[in-house]
Amino acid sequence: MNHRPFEDWLLDDQFLTVEQKRELEVHLRVCKSCTAIAEANLALRAARVVSPAPGFSARWQERLVLARQAQRRRTLIGTLVFSLGGLFLLALLTGPAIAAVIGSPAEWISNLVRGALFAYTLWMAAVEAGAVLFRVLPDFVPPFGWLVMLSTVGGLGLLWSVSIWRLTRTPQGVKR
Amino acid sequence: MNEEQAWVLQAQNGSDEAFTQIVETYQTPVYNLCYRMLGEAAAAEDAAQETFLRAYQHLHRYDNQRPFATWLLSIAAHYCIDRLRRRTLPLFSVDEDEENAFEIPDAQAPHPEQEMVHSEQREQIHLLVSSLEAIDRAAIVMRYWYDFSEAEIAEALHLTVSAVKSRLHRARKQLGRLWQESSTTARVERRVYESPAF
Repeated sequence: MNHRPFEDWLLDDQFLTVEQKRELEVHLRVCKSCTAIAEANLALRAARVVSPAPGFSARWQERLVLARQAQRRRTLIGTLVFSLGGLFLLALLTGPAIAAVIGSPAEWISNLVRGALFAYTLWMAAVEAGAVLFRVLPDFVPPFGWLVMLSTVGGLGLLWSVSIWRLTRTPQGVKR
Repeated sequence: MNEEQAWVLQAQNGSDEAFTQIVETYQTPVYNLCYRMLGEAAAAEDAAQETFLRAYQHLHRYDNQRPFATWLLSIAAHYCIDRLRRRTLPLFSVDEDEENAFEIPDAQAPHPEQEMVHSEQREQIHLLVSSLEAIDRAAIVMRYWYDFSEAEIAEALHLTVSAVKSRLHRARKQLGRLWQESSTTARVERRVYESPAF
């Protein structure tokens, strides 16, 4: 038997004209498979809505309380595990240093003083070198060199500003 | 702004009372979807409760431009689909909530025979829907119980509209075939138990 287009009308739940409905009814009188689809469709449309047992909302609130308690417990355990793990790692990493400090205090005090002196000397040398360069450099660079250098710096600054403006013109990830 | 939107907004701002109103309003649609998807009352109750819990926890992600019902039912459908996929054995059982095929018709009812037929049909539909694949089942439930359009189903189930059309087409075909088979079986059974006097 030719089910077309009746089967498609039923399977695609198409809107039918009065004439099409009449044709479908005639077909349904003789076609068992299309009748089954139509009956199943009708039965589905007639199916009732099932409600939960009374007190659903109260049961949900109880569940919410339990979920919150579980969440708090999880957070607490997580924090505890994280903190203890961090402490353990810290102890593992700093253990030898602490042991050394406790074992010979004179050695680490002398190391500390030596380090501080080295840092201070380095800083003072850098300041001195900077001052010398500041005094000497203008005599070595011709005016044309200064012009090129300043133009380059200005151009790069302009390029940077334009790039920033182009990138921030529309919020990224937002379609207009 | 309607009442529902106001509740959602209040709930988003942390009002538990407003969310309770939402639960009161949507408990039946959500439960019904879960029941039709999972096929049993206890699982449906659990799934509906879980749906509201998830909605509560992720309410900040809800986009106020979308219909709230679609969002909520989408959570329920996805939860049920996950549960169905995790099931290794079919858990469907005839349920005390729903009138079942073996129910004795109410003799006080105006038309007990009709009532019995309706009850059988309801059970038949329930069994047929339970035989569908999880996503097809969700699409059918949304279409027939909630009058969702194909676009709304697509949105809720994260599918394309053409995928929804194809799934509905396939599911209806399967339901029709099963309906025909079950009707034939019912006729044969009736014939077997018919009185020889007639």
